[in-house]
Amino acid sequence: MPRSYPVIGTLLLGFALAVTGGATEDSASLDSVWNFAANSQPIEARVALKKVDGVDERTRLLARAILDLARPPIAEGDWQKIEPVLAQLAQGDDEIAAQALYLHARMYQVHKSVPDYPRAEALYRELARRWPGSHWAQLGYVKLGLFKLFSVREPQDARVRLQQVGVLLAEIQEPSLRRDLQLQMGWAGLFYELPYDEVLPPLIAAEAVGGMMGITPEDLTTQIGELSFRAGRLEQAKYYFENFLEAYPSNTRRFNVSQRLTEVRAALAKSEAAP
Amino acid sequence: MTARTLRKRLGLLLFVTGYLVAVYWVFTRSQPVVEGDVTTIRIAHWQIELGPPDGIEAAIKRYEELNPKVRVKQVMVPGPVYRQWMRANFAGDNAPDIVEYGAWLDGLADLPVRYFEPLTEELLEPNAYNDGTALAGMPWQETFADELQEQRINSPEPGQYYAVTMTRGSLRLFCNLDLLEEITGSRVPPADWAEMRILFQQTAEYAAKEGRIVTPFAGSKDNAMWMMGFYMGGVMNTVGQQLDTDAMLGLYPRQSQWMYLKGAWHYQDPAVKAALALLKEINDQMRPGYMSLLRDEATRQFLRSESLFIFTGTWDATSLRRLAEFDVGVLRCPQPTQDDPVVGKYMLGHFSDGNNMTGFGFYLNKRSPHRKIAVDFLRFLTSYEGNKLFTDHSGWLPSIKTVPVAPEIASYISPDDGYAYGGPNISLGGGSRAIFESNLHHMVGPQGSVDKLAEALDEAMPAVTREALQVEQRAARWAMLPQDTRIVALANLTVQLAEPDAQALRRERLESAQNLSEGRALLLARQLEIVDQR
Repeated sequence: MPRSYPVIGTLLLGFALAVTGGATEDSASLDSVWNFAANSQPIEARVALKKVDGVDERTRLLARAILDLARPPIAEGDWQKIEPVLAQLAQGDDEIAAQALYLHARMYQVHKSVPDYPRAEALYRELARRWPGSHWAQLGYVKLGLFKLFSVREPQDARVRLQQVGVLLAEIQEPSLRRDLQLQMGWAGLFYELPYDEVLPPLIAAEAVGGMMGITPEDLTTQIGELSFRAGRLEQAKYYFENFLEAYPSNTRRFNVSQRLTEVRAALAKSEAAP
Repeated sequence: MTARTLRKRLGLLLFVTGYLVAVYWVFTRSQPVVEGDVTTIRIAHWQIELGPPDGIEAAIKRYEELNPKVRVKQVMVPGPVYRQWMRANFAGDNAPDIVEYGAWLDGLADLPVRYFEPLTEELLEPNAYNDGTALAGMPWQETFADELQEQRINSPEPGQYYAVTMTRGSLRLFCNLDLLEEITGSRVPPADWAEMRILFQQTAEYAAKEGRIVTPFAGSKDNAMWMMGFYMGGVMNTVGQQLDTDAMLGLYPRQSQWMYLKGAWHYQDPAVKAALALLKEINDQMRPGYMSLLRDEATRQFLRSESLFIFTGTWDATSLRRLAEFDVGVLRCPQPTQDDPVVGKYMLGHFSDGNNMTGFGFYLNKRSPHRKIAVDFLRFLTSYEGNKLFTDHSGWLPSIKTVPVAPEIASYISPDDGYAYGGPNISLGGGSRAIFESNLHHMVGPQGSVDKLAEALDEAMPAVTREALQVEQRAARWAMLPQDTRIVALANLTVQLAEPDAQALRRERLESAQNLSEGRALLLARQLEIVDQR
């Protein structure tokens, strides 16, 4: 063996150790886990979670469970793994328990391949009973309202269906959550072909809260204007159509709206001119 | 053991250990040892006409000057294979960091929520590349000429923005003005569809007299479908208005699909058949066999002066202008009027021929290993400087406010002077366009008729329309499901970060977006259930 081997070996080892030593895995903070999860990066979140030191077991279990829910659909094997964890965490009396109970209900409502609505409803109601007025209870009521509006078979009478959801709405105080449910109530009313006068109030209430994103505020303003026009509430129609044209200069339906507004103004002028 | 042997063994041990550590390093760590190496990102699109690749390249060049440690590679994929290319590359986890996509691409509605990452949070913040311009301090989303209207309409997840856009476009009739003068003695184009009919006759007489092939419209499957879709949409505004039970003064594809499936309209309805009769007129003014040709062939017909017009989008304008050896006129399409003998009684009025919505949307690959750089590049590409470079070198309209529009392309922008209700058309989404294409033969030829086509469509369309509605439902559901994780994660961040209000607002938006997706998914599921019970 040449005399240089030990020297080369030492250099190589030293270099490798220096490099790997410099790259020793840093410990991660719990914030980074939540941050990755919040940014749709569940794989990175899972890696970060492994590096977190000093986190209590309940938090770690919750984090694992929500990361398991991040990549739907949930396989039957995963369901068996996640469900008992959430059920166990929900036994506690803290924020983690409330979140776990909420997610438990969500699992039965949307993550299961065949939803179990009665079970989901029971869990949402338990959530509201144990943490009345909490954000999770209110959000749960919105979710409960959604499947009562569209998914369950009973009641057949659409008006009764909406009344039942109205009872849930009364339990919700957060304006943005009330808005979301009112919007769906209005749209459900249209789907079930209820009279315009019954559909308009929840839509108007939702619009008044504001803060909606995407195309929804534009659609909603148009909708209220047009429904008002069809219901013969011309002044109200004029108000919403004018608001629309002022607020949404780039909407592709502006011409349709402006033509309708012309009709509304003509009808108003006619009614004012009438004896 | 002698000292010499010991040294040998120690040396060998050190050597082997060093080797093993190096092997471990190579197979377990993908990051380079030396930080600061050049990072390469890839951006893919199908706009391989003359113009856009030059525009993108100009922006890339400038970006690389500003960011010397980044290289951006432009991947140009031909349109005919783009859908397959996308699906294969995303399925194989080999897709570029940034990818062009369009909501109208048939059969890909499931892709966005699976593979693309929303850009909503970033779009609510100012684009730093606009500093020093009139757009400085403005939220990125508001710097687009349409404030990303297309995304607001077509986002797979209501309330979320998934793309940034590069340009605006409209549909135009490109005219060989020299040939028009030869045929009619005038360079003044027809004003409406009645005058078009006269021109069709004049063109036929001219072709017979000259003994050469000249048709009014350059024909290919692509151009024909665009043109038929445009004219049918125009005629269908009245029907769209009648079908607008949701009172939105327009119909989204999912609403047209539902109305068709519930039997609110049929292809055999008189108004729809009248529109199909108009399409037959268009069909008859193209070269026979056009359905077997692609758009390149139509362009060649036009450039060889074998057709008077080519109907296409302004995306072809640069190519046509650079390649044509004659004067190319860019015309707004002559439309049928309310006294038209074929469709007049169904015409609501003048219809929109370009909504100035921005397009050529770039999406972020959810699995990009260089998310931060990719978003930064998108910021530059759609900054004042980046978009100006794009428009100057491509000849396409800019998508960003205040970027100047060159006089020669100003006519591509349509004034807001036409109805746009949507509704029944040759395509109802999903694979329905293919159904129309494969049944078009029922209308052409000596044995063909509008009645036969309408009947065939009503036979074949329900199944594919149901499938399209189901895809919409699944897309809404897929958009909603992963949000539970994000919402709970954000709730925990609220507790731990210094800016609770910002986190709370972010969570509120996320919850609202999820509620919208969820409501839509449930409504569509209910509609599908009703359809299945019929």
